Amino acid sequence: MKVVITSIVVATILALISSLPALAQASSTITIIMTGVNQISIRLDKTQWPLGNVTSDTQYETSPPIEWCTLTVEGNSNVNTFILGDDAEWVDNPSAYKWTLSTDGTNGENVYGLRFRISGDTTRGPLGDGYVPITKTESEFWPYAGGSGSSLAPGDTKQFGLRLLTPTYFVGGRQMQTQITISAVAA
Amino acid sequence: MTRRIKLTGLIAALLVIFLPSFTLAQEVNFGVSPAEVRINDLPPGGTAEFELTIHNKDAIAHVFTFTAFHPPEEERREGRAEFPDDSWISFSSPEIEVAANSQANVTVTVSIPQEQEWAGEDWETWLGVAAESSDLLGVKLYVRLLVSTTPAAGGKSNRGVFAGIAVAIVLLGCGVYYYFRRKAKPE
Repeated sequence: MKVVITSIVVATILALISSLPALAQASSTITIIMTGVNQISIRLDKTQWPLGNVTSDTQYETSPPIEWCTLTVEGNSNVNTFILGDDAEWVDNPSAYKWTLSTDGTNGENVYGLRFRISGDTTRGPLGDGYVPITKTESEFWPYAGGSGSSLAPGDTKQFGLRLLTPTYFVGGRQMQTQITISAVAA
Repeated sequence: MTRRIKLTGLIAALLVIFLPSFTLAQEVNFGVSPAEVRINDLPPGGTAEFELTIHNKDAIAHVFTFTAFHPPEEERREGRAEFPDDSWISFSSPEIEVAANSQANVTVTVSIPQEQEWAGEDWETWLGVAAESSDLLGVKLYVRLLVSTTPAAGGKSNRGVFAGIAVAIVLLGCGVYYYFRRKAKPE
């Protein structure tokens, strides 16, 4: 009996000794690094474009066309910015009627187009006129692939304007609403 | 021809796009800090928590909403893969109201499932903070969240180490037992 107990004690001690490194590994430290001084912030000096009544298959531009809104980088972080559009919905019953936002800035029946142009951009976009389609997929606002610009630093500004192309056909007498989102992330 | 003109006139009648809002605020201005969060050595089954601070720089209160967003590969930091599942990230509240010219915190929790397949990974996802608004232009700020889990090698080799230790203990126990048994045997 004594022999059996001694054997068990030895085996237990060995097991404890051998499992110590494994236990130590299980309680490793999780490191969270927060770049605490960095604040990301952008400001738009305009958020509304009350157009009033519009007609079908017609192009509307903000006034002034390309210096309508100013984006200013605040905080203390350099940023890359993006733009995202959405369908325009009937305010009274959003699920009942909408204009679909086109994928290329063109229009169609109940399909409308949106484009933006940044002041100073003269050749950007599919038509090479500086106007870039706004779609339902988040795409580069500034900087952009193929462009010579770099990330925006605190204090930098970008002026831009919008162009709307109404559908070739739509149901009249309905108030429509949409939203364009300008986003930013630390560069 | 006259009928066609009349029809076009009807379609165009009384349609308003981009709902004009009569709120005085024509500006959106807020910030989020930190701009980037790195979580290192998070083991599968582990949880990490941190706080985001929302700075409302407007003269009116705003409601801010939180979402996770998968950035395209070209926007992610080098060597970072797409974060596998947004449900692993939770916010202490889906939205928060921040008074004019003040700030508030939201706690973000990142929980990685226990499966070893999630070990040794470097992921990136973006945490979006947006001010609720019915205006045409909205702003969203993204915080880069970089998550690295503990290496897989440790977990896999531990199983082998444990098996080896178990076998060694059994053998040693048997050896000790037979040694004493033989020693105790009368000549």
